[in-house]
Order: sequence, then C-alpha cells, then structure tokens
Amino acid sequence: MKDFTRHRLSLRAALLATVAAVATIAALPGKADEVTPERLLNADKEPGNWLLHHKDFSATRFSNLSEINKGNVKDLKVAWTMQLGGVEGGGIWTHGGLEGTPIVENGMMYVTDGWGSVYKIDTHGGKGTLLWKMDPKTDHDWAGAVACCGVDNRGVALWGNLVISHTLDGRLIATDKETGQVAWQRQVADPDKGEVVTGAPLIVKNMAITGVAGAEYGIRGWIAATDLTTQKEVWRTYTIPGKDQPGHETWKDDQNAAASGGGSTWVTGSYDPASNTIVWGVGNPGPDWDNEYRPGDNLYTDSSLGLDADTGKIKWHYQHTPNDPYDYDSVAENVLVDVPGPNGSTEKLALEADRNGFAYAVDRTNGKFVWGLPFVKKVTWTKGLDPETGKPAEYDPSKQVQLYNAAVTPSRQNKVTDICPGNMGGKNWPPTAYNPELKLWYIPVIESCNRITVEEETPAKLKKREFWTGGGPSQPVRITGSVTAIDVTSGKIAGKFETPFPNLGGILATPDLVFSGQPSGEVMALDGKTLAKLWEFNTGGGVNAPPITFSVDGKQYVAILVGLGGAWDKWFIDATPELKKMQPGSMLYVFSL
Amino acid sequence: MSFRPLLFARTDRQEKMIGLNRAAAAFVMVAAAAMTTGAAAQSADPTDAGKAIFKRANCVGCHKWHGNGGGGYGGDALSLRKTELTREQIIETVGCGRPGTGMPFFTRGAYDTVKCYEMTRQDVGGRMPPEANTFLRPKDIEAVADYVISHIKGKGEPNYGECIAFFGEGSRVCDVYKAQQSTDTNTATSGQSK
Ligand code: HEC
Repeated sequence: MKDFTRHRLSLRAALLATVAAVATIAALPGKADEVTPERLLNADKEPGNWLLHHKDFSATRFSNLSEINKGNVKDLKVAWTMQLGGVEGGGIWTHGGLEGTPIVENGMMYVTDGWGSVYKIDTHGGKGTLLWKMDPKTDHDWAGAVACCGVDNRGVALWGNLVISHTLDGRLIATDKETGQVAWQRQVADPDKGEVVTGAPLIVKNMAITGVAGAEYGIRGWIAATDLTTQKEVWRTYTIPGKDQPGHETWKDDQNAAASGGGSTWVTGSYDPASNTIVWGVGNPGPDWDNEYRPGDNLYTDSSLGLDADTGKIKWHYQHTPNDPYDYDSVAENVLVDVPGPNGSTEKLALEADRNGFAYAVDRTNGKFVWGLPFVKKVTWTKGLDPETGKPAEYDPSKQVQLYNAAVTPSRQNKVTDICPGNMGGKNWPPTAYNPELKLWYIPVIESCNRITVEEETPAKLKKREFWTGGGPSQPVRITGSVTAIDVTSGKIAGKFETPFPNLGGILATPDLVFSGQPSGEVMALDGKTLAKLWEFNTGGGVNAPPITFSVDGKQYVAILVGLGGAWDKWFIDATPELKKMQPGSMLYVFSL
Repeated sequence: MSFRPLLFARTDRQEKMIGLNRAAAAFVMVAAAAMTTGAAAQSADPTDAGKAIFKRANCVGCHKWHGNGGGGYGGDALSLRKTELTREQIIETVGCGRPGTGMPFFTRGAYDTVKCYEMTRQDVGGRMPPEANTFLRPKDIEAVADYVISHIKGKGEPNYGECIAFFGEGSRVCDVYKAQQSTDTNTATSGQSK
C-alpha cells in the first residue's frame, strides 16, 4: 500500500483536525471532512458531491448540477482518465470487471475495482491524482468459485473519517480516509456457505447495511446491520422466514427447501428517514428454475421489503413473482418519490423496475400496490398484472406451484422453453434514475428473451459451494436494450430510446439530461425529455457501471468506470456476438466541457 | 451416464462419434486405473504440468477444480470425473472442442489447418465450437489429458485431500471438504480414527 498523500493535503488535514478537535462531536472521532449521519441525510444540499451510492437516501441518482446541459453537452470531452487494477481472474472467472459507482466528497473520489481494492483519487486541478490504494487481498479462489455473476464490487460508502467497503469474500472493511490504512474489518458473509458480497454498503445512522449474493448456491439470504462505532452486528434479518416466523407457511414442501431457498440482497437499498424505514429488494428463490421443488409463494423472494432501520424487523413486503420459475429476482433498488395524489394528497411511493419486465409503484408506508406496467417491449410469461393487486393475472393463491402462462413457463413438464423477458431481465442491477422536476423515471433496460432448460433438483443434489439452479439459460435470440422513461404521475411510458446492446450500466439524471452507456463502449447523453441522443463518446471498453456527476474547483465533471465483467461475458455473450471482441479492462473516465 | 448437457443437443453424428469412442473405452480404463494407483504413491507427481495447464487454460472455469462441472447459469460442462473417454479421445476433445456444444477447441488452426473429426470449418458450419481463450500445444494437451486421466476420471465425490493437492495447503476453498471429512469421521461406525 502506497501513500501518495501530498504535503498540502496533510497540512490541511492537520489544521482542520485541530478545528474539529475543539468542537465536540458525539460518538464520532473528530476529523476533517468527516461524514456525519446528518450530512448523509442532507446529501442533496451538497450538490457538488456524490455522497451516497444512489446519490441520496431516496436512490434518485439525480444531480441538479447544470453547467453541463442540453445546450452544450455536445462539447463534452475527456478531461482525464485513470487506469485501475483488478482485471485478473479467480475461481471460475477469467477476469474482473467494473460495476462500481464512484463516491465524491469535496473533490476526493473513491472507487473500487472488482476484487474490492479501494482507490482514493484527488480530482482537483483538472486532473486525477491517485492518493492511495487499499488492496484487501481478497481470496480469489475461495470467493471467485462461488460468485455466480462475475468479480464485482459496486463501490464504497463514507462514514466519519472512514471509507466503508465490502469484498467478494464477505468482509466489511473500514479504511482510514486520510492514510488508506485499514482501521478494522469484520467477516459478514461466509463463502463456505456460498455467500459473497458485491454490493456497496448503505450507511444509516451509525450502521453499515450489507446485502449478500448466493441464491444460485443454495444460500438463505439476509440483510445485516453492523454498528460502525462498536463493529458489532446490530441485526440480521433473513429474507427467508424461519420456522416460527410469519411467511414460513409459504414454503409448503417437506424437504426443507426454505433452508436453501435463496433470496439474495446484493443491490444497495434506499432509506426513508421520515418513517425510519430501509427499503431493500430481495432476489430469486433457489433452485432458480425448478419451482416444483419449492411449492408455495416462497416469501420473501422476489419481493421489496420495508425494514425498521433500528431493529431490522420487516414492516411490510410486496412480492412480484410468487413461486418464481424464471429467475426474475427483485434485488433492484427502490426509488422513493413523492407525487401529488388525488384530492391534494401526496402519494409516498417506492418504485421498482423488476427483472420480470414490470415497473411497480407501491405505497412505501405499507407496501400496497399502486400501479404497475410492462417497461420492456416483449413479455410472454403473463398476460399482465391484476389492476387491483399487481399480481400476475394467472397467479392462483390456491395453487402450490404457479404456472402463469403455462405454454412458456419452465417446469418439470415443460423442460425447454423460451421466456420473455429472459432471466437477466427486464432490468438487472444497473440503477435507474429519477428526475423530480420532470417526474420522469429512467430505466436501463435489457430487451430480452432467452431459453430455459429445467433440471429437476433433489435434496441429494444440494452441495455446499456448488450451483443450485435447477437448470440453466441459453441464448438463441439476440438481446438489445433501451433507456425507457416512465411518467411517475400517470404510471405510463413517456419514451423509449432503443440501443443495439442491453443496458448493463445504469443511469444518471441531471435537470435536462440523462447519461448512460453501452457494453460496446459508448458513453452517451440523452435529452431528458425526448431521449434524443445529444452526445456520445466511445471509450473502447465495455460500459458495465453507472455514470455520476460532481463538481470540483467550481467545474462540473461526469465520471464513469469502464471494464466489461459481470455475468454478461461469461453466460450471456451468445446473445450479443459482437461483444465477444470486447477486451477486459479497468479504467476510470472523467469528462468535462 | 446420468449426466446430460443442459444446453447443447448433440447431433446424431456426434452421438455416433461418442458411441464409437465408448466401445474402445472399457479396455483402456483398466489400464489407466492401474497406472493411477502406481503414480499416486510417488511424491513428485508427473502430472503436475498437466495440473498447471488445467488451471492456466481455464478448464476450471467450466469444469471446476474437481472436474465435476455441474449446473448453473451457463448450463453443464460434462463431468470429467464421470467421463468414459480414453486418453486419446480426451486429447481429441480438448484439441477440437465438441461441435454444437460449449466445449471450446484448444488447438491453433483446428478445423482449418488441422482437421477435426474429419471436418473442416465449412463442414462443421454453424456447429463450430467456440475458440478457447488460450491455445495449447500438442504436448500441453497430452499433459492435461494425463492429468484428467490420473486425477479426475473415475473419482467419486471431491474430497479434502484432492482439494489441498489442487490448491495447496491452507486454501480456504478446501475448508468445506474438511468439514465434510470430519462429519464423515464422526458418523463412521468403524471406530477408526483418521
Ligand atoms: C467454456 C467452457 C469450457 C472450457 C473452458 C472447457 N470445457 Fe470441456 N466441456 C465443456 C462443455 C460444455 C462440455 C460438454 C460437451 C457436451 O455437451 O458434449 C465439455 C466436455 C469436455 C470433455 C468431454 C467429456 C465427455 O465425457 O464427453 C472433456 C474431456 C473436456 N471437456 C475437457 C476439458 C479440458 C481438459 C479443458 C481445459 C483444457 C476444458 N474441457 C475446458 C465446456 C468447457
């Protein structure tokens, strides 16, 4: 680990530390630029910074910086780039990729590579200077062998004077912001059970919230809160209820399917301070495609959860695809928005764009369905949602095994079948963005169908650290993508910008622009209202991460990590043959006027 | 063979090809088994080079370290533990891949300058197997085949000893097998300690 800290910086830190030491700050050690829970709650009051993974607790990924706008975005140019590491392979993976969201605070940027190294970069002066790199020495074999979908790490969080990050091999690490030295670390997930961690932590009060991946390896999913002052676990809520908990009755088999029932939580959630509720998405049940193995609705898989932030207690849930036979998980982030409702009321919504191809708005105070609509061009697994409940029209609560549109649904009777959307979605982990002024919600879409082949599972086939999927997908059909905008006041599609390749990166919204990218290399800016393409730059590497924007020295920048990894180039590449030529890479791009 | 690839339907032609191979397999298997027992006792393993290739050429990426392959997002790579192929057939399969499946070819110029299953690129057409990320020389392919024959083919469930032999002492990958081993010991009725 090298310390590149410049003299100017240490001097400034020392000075500010003295100032901070005079003021007494409860619970937190006094230090320059420290990130307090209050600052996180008011992240939008620091327009030049990108303090939280999804920009703010509501997960809008909206920045009101407008120096770069519709009128001048055509002049956007590369300001600087930085080569990062972590491309090496491990386990079943030939290389790592970049899926992270950069965090920026007062001109200092923090990014991660796929193996969880954290880089602190000074962005002052129109250039990037690497100050330090913290390499957590992630166990490549141990973690890489049970990562279903790539060597990924989606970024850090800031708290106090610490940078909080995860590693694929299941650790939560606190690194000193100034020195890059590891302050402490804690094992949160256990790769011996098939658990890995790819998401960025969410900081709520003095806690780091961790989600887990592994539903393809027979885990029982959870969300865990670690107290950052004591480094102890505050709560851990399992997404598959235990024997004496409500929801357990939705696992109706006699072979203990719940114990390996999946329900991963690998996408960072959101937080509603008004009701002290964490809203977090839950992934698919396991085995993915053999739903006859696990009769019942399989709560809380494929659900959005509202959790009490202090206790982790489940306050409400909304399930999208009961007894899922498609791998249509609901790990996606919930965007918390307020829109005018009938009779001068305010609707407090949680928006989620699901793998199953439908976008949902639920009342985030109680989990009740408000509206839903398909956001992909083609859906074949159901004829639509029940307008009252939002459940798939064919859902029959009296049935133990759901067939939905039986003609296309994978089952033990229908072992090879094509489904739309395909099992990647719809919409996968790449985040949406919401423009509160235009009331438009932008979804990064995978317009897809794919083929599912079912393999019957038995308890004897369940083995630690081995796949537990009940079949697998293949790609006989080309997959494309789009950026699809939804008008949140009407719950209708407002526009669709189609792209030759699936959207594997996610979205950034500014007052009149939308930024996104393509796995074929392009970063682009679209008109926020019409979705017309206004600017494009080809990075030459696959875009697999979301763009962000920040300002430093009074100037606005757009930043994005570039390096195709993740699930796509191992499992889904046949649907996009041209992407086979994309080279592994690990590069940060920063643009300005 | 209970194991069927999930994703890749075989053509009749391949079915025949494999059938032919199997007829020849039984005899060689006996020989291979005899060879394995002899080699196992030695400390310097002559198939170490093959193991290195098994890692470097990323056989691990699809067949896993233990060779069992197994389900998952990409469908099944066949189990090399349960394979009935002979050394020669493994060499051919690695060099030429398997048409119409995800098993890549590892010989430079396969189906072009080097004929595979009596077929050229034109003959194999849309069933052309994928090209491997790394090409292997004939000697390397022989070495990896020897490694498969002596350390993977015909083995039962993967165990701690095999895992440590692959990853080295202290690898956390192997801990789950250690746990397995100790529960096996605990439930054993023979009274012997391991
Ligand atoms: C990209 C994934 C992939 C890689 C890499 C790969 N294989 Fe395979 N392999 C497969 C698949 C899929 C099959 C099953 C083909 C079929 O369905 O007949 C297979 C089949 C085989 C077979 C035939 C087994 C049988 O009983 O018919 C052998 C032998 C084999 N692989 C050896 C190797 C070796 C040795 C390597 C490394 C040099 C390797 N493979 C690398 C995917 C892969």
